[in-house]
Amino acid sequence: MRMRPLHARYPFFAAAREAVESADVAIATLVAEDAPAVERGVERVERALMEGTVEPDPDEAYGWDTQTELLSYPISRIIVSLVETPAAVDKYARAEADTAYERMLADFDAGDDDVHGEARANLDDFLREFDLDGAVRAESNRNRNSRRAPDHYWVDVGPYLTYSDTDWGADWRLVNRSLADGAVRVTREELSELLREAVRRRVAEGLPFAVRGSDAGDRLADALKPHVERLRNLLSDRGAVNVVYVDSVDPDHFPPCVEALLARAQDGETLPNEAAFALAAFLVGVGLEPEAVGGVVGDANAEELQKRATVLADSSGSQYAPPTCETMQAYDLCVNRDDRCDTIKHPMKYFETATNDADATAADEVAD
Amino acid sequence: MDGRTREYLEGRFGDYYRSTDVPLPPAPGEREWGVIPWSAGGTRMHRHQSLLDLGDLSDYLARSAPRHVYFSSARFADPGAASMDDKDWREADLVFDIDADHLPGIDPETTGYADMLDAGKEALLDLLDLLEDDFDFEEMQAVFSGGRGYHVHVRDESVRGLDSEARREIVDYIRAIDLDFDALIETRQHGTTTQRVLRTEGGWGRRTHRRLLEFVDALLEMEEDAALSRLKELDGIGDGRAKTILGAFRNNPDAVREGNVEAGGPGVRTLVEALAHETVEDETSPIDEPVTTDTKRLIRLPKSLHGGSGLVVEPLDRDEIDDFDPLSDAVPDRFRGRDIAVKVTDPGEVEFDGDSFTLDSGVQSVDESLGVFLMTRGRAEKVTE
Repeated sequence: MRMRPLHARYPFFAAAREAVESADVAIATLVAEDAPAVERGVERVERALMEGTVEPDPDEAYGWDTQTELLSYPISRIIVSLVETPAAVDKYARAEADTAYERMLADFDAGDDDVHGEARANLDDFLREFDLDGAVRAESNRNRNSRRAPDHYWVDVGPYLTYSDTDWGADWRLVNRSLADGAVRVTREELSELLREAVRRRVAEGLPFAVRGSDAGDRLADALKPHVERLRNLLSDRGAVNVVYVDSVDPDHFPPCVEALLARAQDGETLPNEAAFALAAFLVGVGLEPEAVGGVVGDANAEELQKRATVLADSSGSQYAPPTCETMQAYDLCVNRDDRCDTIKHPMKYFETATNDADATAADEVAD
Repeated sequence: MDGRTREYLEGRFGDYYRSTDVPLPPAPGEREWGVIPWSAGGTRMHRHQSLLDLGDLSDYLARSAPRHVYFSSARFADPGAASMDDKDWREADLVFDIDADHLPGIDPETTGYADMLDAGKEALLDLLDLLEDDFDFEEMQAVFSGGRGYHVHVRDESVRGLDSEARREIVDYIRAIDLDFDALIETRQHGTTTQRVLRTEGGWGRRTHRRLLEFVDALLEMEEDAALSRLKELDGIGDGRAKTILGAFRNNPDAVREGNVEAGGPGVRTLVEALAHETVEDETSPIDEPVTTDTKRLIRLPKSLHGGSGLVVEPLDRDEIDDFDPLSDAVPDRFRGRDIAVKVTDPGEVEFDGDSFTLDSGVQSVDESLGVFLMTRGRAEKVTE
């Protein structure tokens, strides 16, 4: 089966998988040769975990060809399995689904005469892909002559309950829905959201899998090791530090490294990837809402860091701990060390002890 | 229960099973089976059994004559495995339970058994209306539980894979838990104007709308004064609002038929809210939540005997339900037409087999069906003939 642009756009489609399987390329060989698909696969995971998207970096001068783009998907699945962080799989699947969702919306809106037609999927393609073609019906428009896509669809209640999530809000609750004759009325946008969830589950299915354990698997894992280690460092060790809950966040208690990052951001510098992640993760870690993060980092960085913070803080409970002191040092972000730095191994711990000491001092003052 | 009574009932349950064809549920080999035998106090359940362990079901029931028989709503890869993990859950029927003990307004202490069962049947009919009309389920079996209520087994393929959380959504719909009454009316864009519209397409909005139409039809048939008084019975509707509402309904009956509640002014909103609450009060069904959300539960086998009543766990055709009277229709024929001697230990009022009477204490001769009923309910003991 030929690799089509549509497969590269939606690499989780069954047909895309078949195209990869029937192609005359071995993943092992690609990895051994460090082919472009590996670089793209690493980028896919990195952007998924750090920025919540798997779109190629728009700042890169060149685009990836269809084959590289498609082959990067199975490679990224291997990488995310090797990262061995439970939150990583969750974040990764969400990012793949969010990206597919954006593409899906663009495709559904594009007309039939679109020049990129071959690379685009229509709603029916998606419904068939997830075995929903018999379970979703368009509501006929009141104006029969209208050529517009229908505003509403009816989704059979079984699939509706399977793919919707009550965490999405009260208006997703079945009790608040129009349910009639076994189907639930949804808007076109809501139908796309159900499909996004179907994608997320498809991507998450089978992840993480055991890569090591065979000679071939071990070779694969060894070859990818530098990439995996780098990603792990970027993520830091989840679970090593808990979110610090304090009544109010006082920047005076931030460690010098974070103060420095914050100053650079407020000065309007575009922070490199690791620095931006470290800052956003720290601010989320001390309990700032994503909007608040956007508010403190200066206009130049507000949008970017708020986006990152949203990804990091999302309600699934899978937020990443900010980097450790060791990781900060590795990225040359550990600056202006002070006495307290010698007593801690994590910037979050710095903040926690500084806040506690200040509280204790305040309490003493009241007690006197 | 004394040994003689237990032995007697065990023997009679065996006779029942030898003379009755107990049909198997779909996919019986993928289900877990459980029984409570008569021996040893009759409370310990033997579960984690597959049909392979039991052998032919009819034969097994005839041989072992258990006090209670259950099967799992779930289908497993290995139903006989001792732990749930090893069983490997595949899917589960959607099961509803109406337990007359837990119905609103029913106090089991003061309500008679027959009245409780009547209330349960009302709840069953409300449930079936929702399952048929709103959910459009097709493979449904309603069953008298043999005790104090009713079960409904839904086996449509589209819901068998649902997890516990999804099933809770179905429960909440049926009980209208967390229903957002305000959202039943929404603002819709019509060209350049907006309109406040009751959501008539489905759900609790459609049910409220149906009630509204009935209300309007009744109102339009009334004399002016009567109609206005009827409207003013509602909180928040005085003279002025009542006239506005009635005028709107008379001048433009089609608007309300389409769900447009703009025309009658703010009073219509009050009316719709009141009717929505009435709808929920009337049409929800007080099903027992944990039974539906537990995807690994054992449930009583239809056509088996309930060891706490001696009644048949009776499957019901849809059109039989209205006339079904558990206390006569679920009495096993096998036990009728022969007198036996029992010693009544708990005398008093009894409702049974379409009859209501007062029972004296002491040894007496009664129809065996009544004797079994009394003994299984702990109100009598077997004595020698």
